[in-house]
Amino acid sequence: MNSGQFSNYQTKSFFDEMFYFDEKTVVKPHYEKVYKRLNGLSADELDAKRSQAVSSFLEHGVTFTVYDDSDGIERVFPFDLIPRVIPKAEWVIVEQGLKQRILALNLFLHDIYHQARILKEGIIPKEIVETCPYYRKEIIGFDVPQDIYIHICGSDLIRNEEGTYMVLEDNGRCPSGVSYLLENRAIMKRAFPKTYQSMEVCSVEAYPELLLRTLEHLSPRQSQKPVCVLLSPGVYNSAYFEHTFLARQMGIEIVEGRDLIAIDNYVFMRTTLGLVQVDVIYRRLDDDYIDPLFFKNDSILGVPGLMEAYLKGNVSLANAVGTGLADDKVTYAFVPEMIKFYLGQDPILESVPTYLCWREKDRNYVLENLDKLVVKPANESGGYGMLIGTASTKQERNDFKFRIKENPREYIAQPIISLSRHPTFCDEGVMGRHVDLRPFILYGKDIEIVPGGLTRVALKKDSLVVNSSQGGGSKDTWVLKN
Amino acid sequence: MRLYVFHKTVYRYPDQVSNSFNEMRLHPLSNDLQKCESCLISVLPTTCMREYLDLNGNLVQYFEIPEPHLKLLIEARSTVNTVKRVDFDEFPYGTTMDKLRDIEKNFNCRNYLQSSSYVEITPTVWKEAVDVRGNSNDVFQTAYQIMEFIYLNYEYSNSTTTVDTLSSSIIKKRKGVCQDFAHVAIAMCRSLGIPARYVSGYFFDHTRNRSMRGSEASHAWIEVLINGHGWYGLDPTNNRVVDETYIILGSGRDYRDVAPITGTYFGRLPTSMDVDVSVKKLGN
Repeated sequence: MNSGQFSNYQTKSFFDEMFYFDEKTVVKPHYEKVYKRLNGLSADELDAKRSQAVSSFLEHGVTFTVYDDSDGIERVFPFDLIPRVIPKAEWVIVEQGLKQRILALNLFLHDIYHQARILKEGIIPKEIVETCPYYRKEIIGFDVPQDIYIHICGSDLIRNEEGTYMVLEDNGRCPSGVSYLLENRAIMKRAFPKTYQSMEVCSVEAYPELLLRTLEHLSPRQSQKPVCVLLSPGVYNSAYFEHTFLARQMGIEIVEGRDLIAIDNYVFMRTTLGLVQVDVIYRRLDDDYIDPLFFKNDSILGVPGLMEAYLKGNVSLANAVGTGLADDKVTYAFVPEMIKFYLGQDPILESVPTYLCWREKDRNYVLENLDKLVVKPANESGGYGMLIGTASTKQERNDFKFRIKENPREYIAQPIISLSRHPTFCDEGVMGRHVDLRPFILYGKDIEIVPGGLTRVALKKDSLVVNSSQGGGSKDTWVLKN
Repeated sequence: MRLYVFHKTVYRYPDQVSNSFNEMRLHPLSNDLQKCESCLISVLPTTCMREYLDLNGNLVQYFEIPEPHLKLLIEARSTVNTVKRVDFDEFPYGTTMDKLRDIEKNFNCRNYLQSSSYVEITPTVWKEAVDVRGNSNDVFQTAYQIMEFIYLNYEYSNSTTTVDTLSSSIIKKRKGVCQDFAHVAIAMCRSLGIPARYVSGYFFDHTRNRSMRGSEASHAWIEVLINGHGWYGLDPTNNRVVDETYIILGSGRDYRDVAPITGTYFGRLPTSMDVDVSVKKLGN
C-alpha cells in the first residue's frame, strides 16, 4: 500500500472484507480489480462520481423517512461507492443457509397455527409463543394459501471477528430495503461500468419479476391472470419510496386502505373503470393495521372486512397474517432447534448467542453484565430502543435494568459482536466502517434469493448500528459468478 | 455439472387419515460421481424429522404424523454437483463373460445376482436375455445390448403398469415406465450372471425439445458391475449411458429398496397423488 485513496487505510483488529492483515495489509484476491480501480481515482474523479450518485438518488426520489426527528424527516439514503464483493464459494453457503432457515421458519409458523407439535414436545416453551404480541390466535387452524407464511423475508447477516457469517435477525413481516439494492446497482453500473463488467457479477435485476411471480403463485383464482396490488400505509411511511418503486417495477397498482373495499367476503379495488376484484395483496403494513374490524379498531389504514375475505380464502396476503411471531427476537433464539426438529439437520448458518431475560438464569447474567452486552427489545425493528453496553452511560444502564425487571419477556441480550468492516469513503478519506448484509428471500413456487442483498454500513465512526434510521448508509453488493 | 432438483409430492385423502408413518429416500448420495451440496426435506403437516443410514448405504429420513390430516405434502430441494463420468472413447470393454465367474462368489455381489421382490429370474427372462446377447462375449457390450433391446422393443406407457408390477408381467406386456424398464433390464442382466442393481434418481433433460422420457417425475435406471471397472449406469428408458446429467438418490436390489416415499397410515386410499419434479442446471 502506498499512494492513492487507500494510502492511510488500516484494518486494525477487525475482520476486514477487503484486506488481510499479514504483517502488512494485503488485498484479498476477489477485491483486486475494485482496489486497483478505486485506488487510482483522483479526488476530482471521485467527487464527480459521488455527486453523480447523489443527484441520481435525488432525481429518482430514493428517500426514506426518519421518525421523531425535528429537522425535516425525509432524507436521501447515504450511498457509498466502494462495492462489497462476495466470492461465489461464500455465497453458495449463505444461500443454502438462508433457504434452510426460511423453510424452518415457515414450518414453525404452520406448526404453531395448527397442531403445535414443537410446543407439545417441549422444544419451545409454550409461554414464549403465547406471550408474543404478534401471535395471532385468529388464524389458528386456517390453511394459508399454498401453506406459505413468509413469502418475502429479509434476514440480517453479520460477520464476526473470524469472518463467519451469522444471522442477526429475520424480518418476516414487511422487510424493506430491496429498492435501494436495485437503485445502488443501477448507479454502480454507471459509475464503474468496466470494472463491473470485467468482474462478472451476478445480476439482481430479476427481483421485481420474481416478486411478482411469488405473489401470483398465491392467487386463489389460478385460472386467470391474478390481480395483485401493493397495499401501502401512505406517503408518511418510512418506506413509501420503496412501495412506489416496487409497484412500478412489477406493473401492479399501489393502493391505500381507502382504495379497497370488501364486499360479501371478496376484496375489490376502486378504479376509474369500476370495481376490480383483487386476488393478492402485497401488504406493506403490519397485521395490526390491515383490518380495523379484526385488529386495531382505531386505525383507518386498513380495509374493514379484509380478514373475513382472507379467512374465506378469497384473497391472499403476502406476507401471511401472524408472521410476526417468527420476527420476535425471543423466537429467534430457538431457530436452531426448529431446524433440528423439522428438517432433521444442523443449521448451516450460525446464530448469535442470545440471552433471554425471560429465563431467570439468563436475566441475572444480563443484569450483572449490562456493560458488556447489547440489549434489544424483542419486538421492535429499525434499531429503535437498543442499549449497547460498551457505549452506554450509567444512567442508561440503570434505566434498562429497571425495564428488564419490569418486563423480562420483552428483552433479550447478546454479546457485542464486532462486525466485519469494509473500506468506506468518509470525510477523512477511506476508512473502515462496520457492515452487515440483508439478503431478500422470496418463497413462492420455490425459494429464490437474488444474489447478494443490501449491504448496510454504519457511517458513524466505530458505530455498530447500521440501520438507516440510526445513521446508516448502504453499498452495492457484488456476488461473483466464478 | 451443478444441478438443482425440486421434488414435490402431495397426497390428498378423501377423509381424515391418521397414524401415518413414512420413510423417504430423497436425499442424494455423495460419492465419487456426485456430491450433494445441500438437501432440504420438509413435510406438512409439520413433524419431527429423523434419519438413519440403511443397509444399502442410502440415507433415509423418517417421520410420523399421529394427528388426523387430509393432505400430506413432502418437498425435497437438493443441490448436487455431478462429475463427468462417461468418456465415449473409453467404455469399459474388455471384460469377457467368463470373467463373471470370478465375482460370483463375492459376498457384495450376491444380492445383485439373485431374484428379488420385483425382479424374478425365470426361464423366459433367461431365454430372452440369451437371444439379446447373441454372440457378444463382452460384459459391457451385453449389458448395452440389453438396454438397447428394451428401449427399442418396449413401449413407454404411463397407464399400463402400477408401482407394484413385477418384471415377469412386464415382459409379457412389453409396456411400462422407467421403473419397469429397469426391472426387466436387471432381470435380464442377472439371468446372464451380470450383477445389476436398481438406481433411483433424477436427470436433467438437456435436449432442446425436452424429448427424454421420465423427466417429469423421479426416474430409475440400472447399474451393472464390470469387473475391474466398477458400477456403470445404463438408462433403458432413454437408451443412454448414465452421465453427469443424472443425479443418484440411492441404489438397491430393486424398487423396494429405494422407493422415494413409502409408508403406512390408518384411513382410506388417497384420492390423488401429485408429483412434481423439476431439475434445473445452475451456473457452474
